[in-house]
Amino acid sequence: MANIAKKVSWSSRAEESGVAGERTPLFNGSEQPRLSRQLSGGGSVFQIGRLSTVDLEEEITSDEDSQRGRPKEIPHNEKLLSLKYESLDYDNIENQLFLEEERRMSYMGFRCLEISRWVVCGLIGFLTGLIACFIDIAVEELAGIKYQVVKQNIEKFTEVGGLSISLILWAVLNSSIVMLGAIIVAFFEPIAAGSGIPQIKCYLNGVKIPRVVRLKTLVVKVCGVICSVVGGLAVGKEGPMIHSGAVVAAGVSQGRSTSLKRDFKIFEYFRRDTEKRDFVSAGAAAGVSAAFGAPVGGVLFALEEGASFWNQMLTWRIFFASMISTFTLNFFLSIYHKNPGDLSNPGLINFGRFESDSVAYNLYEIPLFIMMGAIGGLLGALFNLLNYWLTIFRIRYVHRPCLQVMEAMLVAAVTATVSFTMIYFSNDCQPLGPEHTEEYPLQVHTQYTQHEGRLFVSPLLPLVELLLSFSVSLSQLFCADGEYNSMATAFFNTPERSVRSLFHNQPGTYNPLTLGLFTLTYFFLACWTYGLAVSAGVFIPSLLIGAAWGRLFGILLASITSSGSIWADPGKYALIGAAAQLGGIVRMTLSLTVIMVEATGNVTYGLPIMLVLMTAKIVGDYFVEGLYDIHIKLQSVPFLHLEAPATSHWLTAREVMGSPVTCLNRIEKVGTIVDILSNTSTNHNGFPVVVQPAKLCGLILRSQLIVLLKHKVFVELARSRLTQRKLQLKDFRDAYPRFPPIQSIHVSQDERECMMDLTEFMNATPYTVPQETSLPRVFKLFRALGLRHLVVVDDENRVVGLVTRKDLARYHLGKHGLEELQVAQT
Amino acid sequence: MSLYKNSPFLVLLVLSTYALASSVGVNLTASDSADRLSLSPAAPAVVVDSPVFKPGVDSLFSLNLLSSFPEDLEISDYCSDLLHIFGQRYVAYVNCLVTAARPVKVCQNCFSTYGSLMNIYNNISSDEMGPGNVSCRDSLLRSDHLMLVYLLYSNMEDIWTKSSCVNCITKGFQSLTNDTLYFISTLNQTLTCFEKYQQGNHTELCKDCKNAYRDLNELYSRMETNLTMCIDIEDSMNMTRRLWSKNFNCSFPREETVPVIAVSSFMLFLPIIFYLSSFLHSEQKKRKLIHPKRAKSYTTLMNIQDKLS
Repeated sequence: MANIAKKVSWSSRAEESGVAGERTPLFNGSEQPRLSRQLSGGGSVFQIGRLSTVDLEEEITSDEDSQRGRPKEIPHNEKLLSLKYESLDYDNIENQLFLEEERRMSYMGFRCLEISRWVVCGLIGFLTGLIACFIDIAVEELAGIKYQVVKQNIEKFTEVGGLSISLILWAVLNSSIVMLGAIIVAFFEPIAAGSGIPQIKCYLNGVKIPRVVRLKTLVVKVCGVICSVVGGLAVGKEGPMIHSGAVVAAGVSQGRSTSLKRDFKIFEYFRRDTEKRDFVSAGAAAGVSAAFGAPVGGVLFALEEGASFWNQMLTWRIFFASMISTFTLNFFLSIYHKNPGDLSNPGLINFGRFESDSVAYNLYEIPLFIMMGAIGGLLGALFNLLNYWLTIFRIRYVHRPCLQVMEAMLVAAVTATVSFTMIYFSNDCQPLGPEHTEEYPLQVHTQYTQHEGRLFVSPLLPLVELLLSFSVSLSQLFCADGEYNSMATAFFNTPERSVRSLFHNQPGTYNPLTLGLFTLTYFFLACWTYGLAVSAGVFIPSLLIGAAWGRLFGILLASITSSGSIWADPGKYALIGAAAQLGGIVRMTLSLTVIMVEATGNVTYGLPIMLVLMTAKIVGDYFVEGLYDIHIKLQSVPFLHLEAPATSHWLTAREVMGSPVTCLNRIEKVGTIVDILSNTSTNHNGFPVVVQPAKLCGLILRSQLIVLLKHKVFVELARSRLTQRKLQLKDFRDAYPRFPPIQSIHVSQDERECMMDLTEFMNATPYTVPQETSLPRVFKLFRALGLRHLVVVDDENRVVGLVTRKDLARYHLGKHGLEELQVAQT
Repeated sequence: MSLYKNSPFLVLLVLSTYALASSVGVNLTASDSADRLSLSPAAPAVVVDSPVFKPGVDSLFSLNLLSSFPEDLEISDYCSDLLHIFGQRYVAYVNCLVTAARPVKVCQNCFSTYGSLMNIYNNISSDEMGPGNVSCRDSLLRSDHLMLVYLLYSNMEDIWTKSSCVNCITKGFQSLTNDTLYFISTLNQTLTCFEKYQQGNHTELCKDCKNAYRDLNELYSRMETNLTMCIDIEDSMNMTRRLWSKNFNCSFPREETVPVIAVSSFMLFLPIIFYLSSFLHSEQKKRKLIHPKRAKSYTTLMNIQDKLS
């Protein structure tokens, strides 16, 4: 309690020093540093009222002068909020124009809207499926060409000597392909780096991540994924599908492309954040569904990530989009595999079928599964922790684009080198034997005829054959002819195929040492790779790591139990291990369970997978957050979690809100508005509209003001030009989503003297709360209604403050109680 | 491996075929005797012994005639003839398969017998009415739930598909394809070469037969991509490869360890340099802090304090 008292004292001093003018901006960093901030000192965290042991008086006196100088700079860390992220307007602006339009709209008009929503969802599904298909085919073809080149080279040099040259060729080839992918990402669209899932999570949460749903991002993302997978990095192409689906959705639903400057004049009604968000969640679901062949999993993913804004009809539409997407992918892949019309192989990754008796499980195995879940949680936490440190280092030191490209190239070269070295020194030669069954020609795996050395070539998959035969001839390196090196199959396939072979190869295909070494190297490679400036996902690498140690677990289990070989099928444990590892890294719950169950196509695995994911999440959360949450934090995004931090009920709106607020009069001078908008030190987006004396009567957004200024909706002009067209909602929509900056709008000196009547355009009934409302209540309003601004009023309806997303997101529960994040530029 | 594993099953098939052949037209006995035979523990021995069982079956034959079904339920003469022929051809094919099991020559040796077996089965299963307006398809294939004839045939069909013999045989089961013949002749060349040097020094063999072996390997991988391969070719290639690498030890020696280690350690060294240099030379990215305005009046905070205490 002592701290509170101290806080009181310096707060009051701050009050004396900081002059609060009527038009002072909300965030005014440079000129009027708040003394209360000095508590943070060298550290970045300001603790509110708890466990603060700093001697306040001393701090204040010593820091006061330096604080008044230029703004403080600190190295980047996770406890920051960035100013560049703004909120999306999920709350409908109910102004007079809106009401008018609604009145004009006929019954049929609303029916048509409903139908067009369905059409848009269908289109989203279709296009997402097409993109998935394109990525898949491009990766297969290009990887095929690359493998062919390396294969021929290695074959040549195995015979005449000089394998180190092959190694160099392989490394150079990989890093040049990755270089291409890294260049387009680092120089043209940095937001396309990584899997994109954190960004989409933020978008659905209501944060406007700049450029995240643009066409350019999509193009860079797709090309980047192809490059990084073909370049042999330890990455998957599944995560980026979710981002791609979201971009497709955001594009299609608008009926135009601002990048291409094409407007198809359709779906104009959907040009606002509320509608767009619904479609983006449908797009994300379609992406998941195309990536894993898991339509229900996709819907649940959208539900899990965007859960606060939800209704039944939307669920149904999203499910429609998911289904369409997975079956579009299916259909086009079946054509590509020259088996048109076969719709039974959904998804970019296919876990193959778990149907034989050996993969059945028993009650006594459940504890074992739970144990594996705990291991997965531990390993996942280790992965996240290492990646966290690496990411901090990258943000601080490797921030220049050319350095990022170089780093990506180095990772590619090292990946190739490590793989090559391990294959070279591995003595694990196994007889050849994988083959397809003819009944399921597209499925790589299922049964093994035991003709030794038989390499079956599918009549339908020229590429699979190429890749398989490649891994064979490579691994043959020093193995006897007709045998292959099992290290090479693990390393030298595309990751998806390796996962499948770990799940389904018969017991005895891999020896424990190979698996152990593979797990170890791939773990570090994957951890190192995630967060590079290339677009790539982390799903498949996690699955691969997990499948490798899971299989190892199964093998060890079989060897220590006498009757083990009967029930301890390594493939089954590989699946459980994969689930545990993935759960330990990403910490998704419901949707991941369903995705895994759908990808295996075996519902009976639901229980063990759920248990494993639960255990992995519990164990992992004890140490560190999920990978996506870490990256969201490191990007300083004002992300609103499900609940307000515990122990925050004592904070009221008065402490949380920004104050004083920049308000506008209902009839305001144009010059004042322009000045407020062009003030660069602040970037406010919402302005309460007041009538004297300071009584709240509405709320208006920056974007609306800009449109008004652009169309010169001034009182004087309206009087002089009687015929002037009345501004409609359409004019606002046309400017959406890229409203021009204020600098591009020219207002002459005469016009500055005009007046603007905001009555028609403002939202006349903004949400308000009294000053004494507790933080969790405010939080709930924000989260449930998707608010952007919440006006705090006193008992006479006078504006005293404004709560925004950043005001709420700064509080979080740290190790030492409630902590406050700091706001930083960019 | 699998052929070895399958062999008891094959033997069983052979047995049942024998039983079937010797009791044409009397289904009950046939399955009966097949059952009895399958119970015998030492299956391979039974193959040799099976003629001994014949008289026994014959004696049952006479006994069974007494309890035969009325005319209209029996199968027609035409169908029983067909069944008889089917049995004969079946036996011929299975005989052929067993002898060609190891080393695998099932396609080269048995394609004609399979062709004729397929022929007769097609006759049985065809829609066309035979003489006397009877369709054997229903009476022979679908009268009981065991569907023995179908089962027998589908087993053979499975073997045929699994061995992918179709790829090595011309249409209509006339002969081997040219590709296959060419492969066999190339294989023979290689084997002759092996034989020539077999007694002497293996290093000489490795050197002198290398060309022949490489040609063979190349041909094989070409055929692999062309999908003109059957089990015969695969198996013979396997055997040759095993001879080459295991018996004669002609695989490549691992002799470039030093350069490989050197190159890879250089590669692994690069990232360390990279990170060190970017740590030392790159300017650390700093964030400018901004201090948002907050209203915190003395009174309200006093209230909070009251609330808390």
